[in-house]
Amino acid sequence: MTTLDAPRHDILDTTASSDNYLTHSRGFLSWALTLDHKRIGVMYLIAVLGSFLVGGIFALLLRTELLTPGRTFVDADTYNQFFTLHGAIMVFLVIIPSIPAALGNFVLPIMLGAKDVAFPRLNLFSFYLWVGGALFTLYSLAVGGFDTGWTFYTPYSTTTTTGGVVPVLIGVFILGFSSIFTGLNFIVTVHKLRPPGMIWFKMPLFLWAIYSTAIIQVLATPVLAITLCLLIVERTLNIGIFNPSMGGDPVLYQHFFWFYSHPAVYIMIVPAMGIISEIIAVHSHRHIFGYRFIAFSSIAIAMFSFIVWGHHMFISGQSGLMNTIFSLISFSVAIPSAVKTFNWTMTLYKGTISLTAPMMYGLSFLFLFTIGGLTGLHCATLNTDVHLHDTYFVVAHFHYVMMGSALIGMIGGLHHWWPKMTGRMYHEGTAITACIIIFIGFNLTFFTQFMLGSQGMPRRYYDYQPEFQIYHVISTIGAYTMAVGFVITAVCFAQSLMSGRRAPANPWGGRSLEWQCASPPPHDNFATTPTVGDCYNFTAVIWDEKQQGYIVDRTLDPDMPHSTGAKPGGHS
Amino acid sequence: MPSIASTLLAQTPSPLTPADFWLPIGASQQAAGVDWMFTAINWICYFFFLLVVTMMVVFVVKYRGKPGARFRSDAPTHNTLLELSWSVIPLLLCIAIFWYGFKGYVDLSTPPKNSFDVNVTAFKWGWQFKYPNGAQSDNLVVPANRPVRLTMRATDVLHCCFIPAFRVKKDIVPGRYSTLWFQCDHPTGLDEAAGYHLFCAEYCGTGHSNMNRRVLVLPQAEFDAWMVKQAAWLDEIPDDELYFKAGPKIYARCQQCHSLDGTAGLAPTWQGLWDRVANPTGAVRFTDGKSYADLIGPGKEFPTPQDYVRDSIYNPGHYLVAPYGNVMPTFKGQLNDRGIDAVIGMMQHLDEFNAKGVWTKATSAKDPAK
Repeated sequence: MTTLDAPRHDILDTTASSDNYLTHSRGFLSWALTLDHKRIGVMYLIAVLGSFLVGGIFALLLRTELLTPGRTFVDADTYNQFFTLHGAIMVFLVIIPSIPAALGNFVLPIMLGAKDVAFPRLNLFSFYLWVGGALFTLYSLAVGGFDTGWTFYTPYSTTTTTGGVVPVLIGVFILGFSSIFTGLNFIVTVHKLRPPGMIWFKMPLFLWAIYSTAIIQVLATPVLAITLCLLIVERTLNIGIFNPSMGGDPVLYQHFFWFYSHPAVYIMIVPAMGIISEIIAVHSHRHIFGYRFIAFSSIAIAMFSFIVWGHHMFISGQSGLMNTIFSLISFSVAIPSAVKTFNWTMTLYKGTISLTAPMMYGLSFLFLFTIGGLTGLHCATLNTDVHLHDTYFVVAHFHYVMMGSALIGMIGGLHHWWPKMTGRMYHEGTAITACIIIFIGFNLTFFTQFMLGSQGMPRRYYDYQPEFQIYHVISTIGAYTMAVGFVITAVCFAQSLMSGRRAPANPWGGRSLEWQCASPPPHDNFATTPTVGDCYNFTAVIWDEKQQGYIVDRTLDPDMPHSTGAKPGGHS
Repeated sequence: MPSIASTLLAQTPSPLTPADFWLPIGASQQAAGVDWMFTAINWICYFFFLLVVTMMVVFVVKYRGKPGARFRSDAPTHNTLLELSWSVIPLLLCIAIFWYGFKGYVDLSTPPKNSFDVNVTAFKWGWQFKYPNGAQSDNLVVPANRPVRLTMRATDVLHCCFIPAFRVKKDIVPGRYSTLWFQCDHPTGLDEAAGYHLFCAEYCGTGHSNMNRRVLVLPQAEFDAWMVKQAAWLDEIPDDELYFKAGPKIYARCQQCHSLDGTAGLAPTWQGLWDRVANPTGAVRFTDGKSYADLIGPGKEFPTPQDYVRDSIYNPGHYLVAPYGNVMPTFKGQLNDRGIDAVIGMMQHLDEFNAKGVWTKATSAKDPAK
């Protein structure tokens, strides 16, 4: 890359370095061919948020259709496409890449004090694979869309007449490789590029989470790729693998699919848990409670995630013995989840809590994840799951985890690192208002769906019994409320980009390395490899009036592992 | 909890539990066990949810930092005993929940030996329930106070039989049989409005949400009488009245895809269909390029138009009229020869029916039979 333009002094004031990653080089190609992890992260972020808008519009359309029983404004086939597209876009294009590829790409190397990820070219390639996968998904819409549900269950998916099935399968196949390469890159980066002094148990918990996620991405996603290939082969060449009319077995497909897609649930939620560990510690300005338990619970969740897939199939015709074993193992996921929840809650104890926008999202996460996690008990228990399976109860449960936790965590992380990424602050009051609106809208939308489901309303229904209408109306109002919240968030960010106050290097009082380089970071992140302290020891973090931000005063932290003993300072 | 074994094996009728905030009406022997488990888990959830949220709110209020204040540094960084306890206590609770759920599940999935058998066929998009004496029904009619076992199969894609009031559900997988059992002690009569809902819970395409039927529960004596009457309904109709008495009833299962008035649907309209097959031309093409004229007629694959219609019903994927897809399930074993006769008769006299398949000739002519 060449730098043709002079630094823009009209934008950058004198206190910040004139050379940051946004101004380091200019022009379209300097972005399109960049190897800078920060720019790739930003490109991912824009792409993911764009997809989120599309997936969200489909959600609003399908909620609108469900306002009345029977036809509200579209026919059954269109509705089936709405929920299929909503699910497929949100899972494959939004949530899976959102935290690791967008925020992780930006933050991970800086947290490590590194200049970039281990394989910058592979990183860019991952991004273009994502773009390729997204284009195939778009193409599938142009050739008739698809109405299979995001799960592509056979034999429906191999016999449906909608024209976009094979293109979207190819798209998801490609997206899978994007995910694999990102995971591979992060595993190597964490192993090889940690700075001197950062032993495993000094890593920020976000890195533990990203690392656990990367392991799942690398090990599970190839199974999805193989499964999708088999599906394409069956659909195009009529080779019977899953379709019983050609000698195949549809339950085999479900095993293959969930062998990936259950771990995929943790690809989505574990990075969000990492963000929450950061947000709650930083905005409580207090050492994370039980660091080792949280770190190990990330690894435990990653391991358990591979052996619980059968709980998606309790009523599928899988044998009773398998159901029993999978039910028992499924409960094992509850333990590390409970450990994390209690540890986050205890991190608030004796903290110095700032109710900033990221912290509001962190607290929302804690509230919503508690509900999402606890309702998993109903679904893992064999006899109650028989009643609740394939109803709105399950829909509500996984939305509390996938949206209320994973996506809220991602939006919280975005607020947390936004000043670092853009060099601009946003209007705190607006962001908090939006967060509260989203929180209320979310609970209106999905808590009612728990009741719908336990009352017996099956999922993926275009038409329904009149007695369910009141729940659907409340749920739809909730969805509109959430949309308002997200629009306010978008306006808040746009306002920040255009006229936001310049962000200090450390606006929240964080201690990990990303808060010790400028906002936005320079092209190489750090001029010299930084020294590492305890990233959760906030005693050395003090407010600096001149910078309107926090600084780390090293004299207050002798960089000892147990420096929690209070030092009498003159800062009361 | 009520001992599940004693609840299920007892000869005393199970209580009818009314709908509450969470659960719908419970009308089967199994409902009590599932509901007890569901409620027990709910209380565990309430407890832990309130614990976490209360702690969260109290801590946030109490430890809210003042702007510019020095950060506290007296907070504990970990407490192994505390952390072990909140690992082990949930673990023990989970094992207990698993155990009771497992016991309940064993009862849910073990039909008693004296069960009454009903054969179920699920297809896009409807159900057929068949009884030991050959009777067939679109709604699930079962005897009360007796275990009923459904042996289910699907003709096309995955379906799933779900009866919320009975707390039972099972996927129906093409190519294999699956079973489901329940016992209901609360008769409803034959009035559909009083019946319990039966849903398809596994997504199966356009008409997925229109597969809802009713479970109608009759006392044993009434049920026996119903079964005898139901088995004979096609035979009791005189031949010349078959097409307008049986035709519309059978057509109810075809109408989701085949219109009578030329409206475009998922399959060819029946309007003018008989003319087209009785006078086959090259105009109607199949997806393989052949036409009606190539296949229908003396000496050809289908010597009479009746042969062609019969084959289309029993073997729908054999020849597909372009541009329609292979979406129709087979009706082999569901429609007998008299049923086929009724359908063909209806096609031949389509001018006597309105667009909804209601026979309108009765008002215009005295003698319906030609």
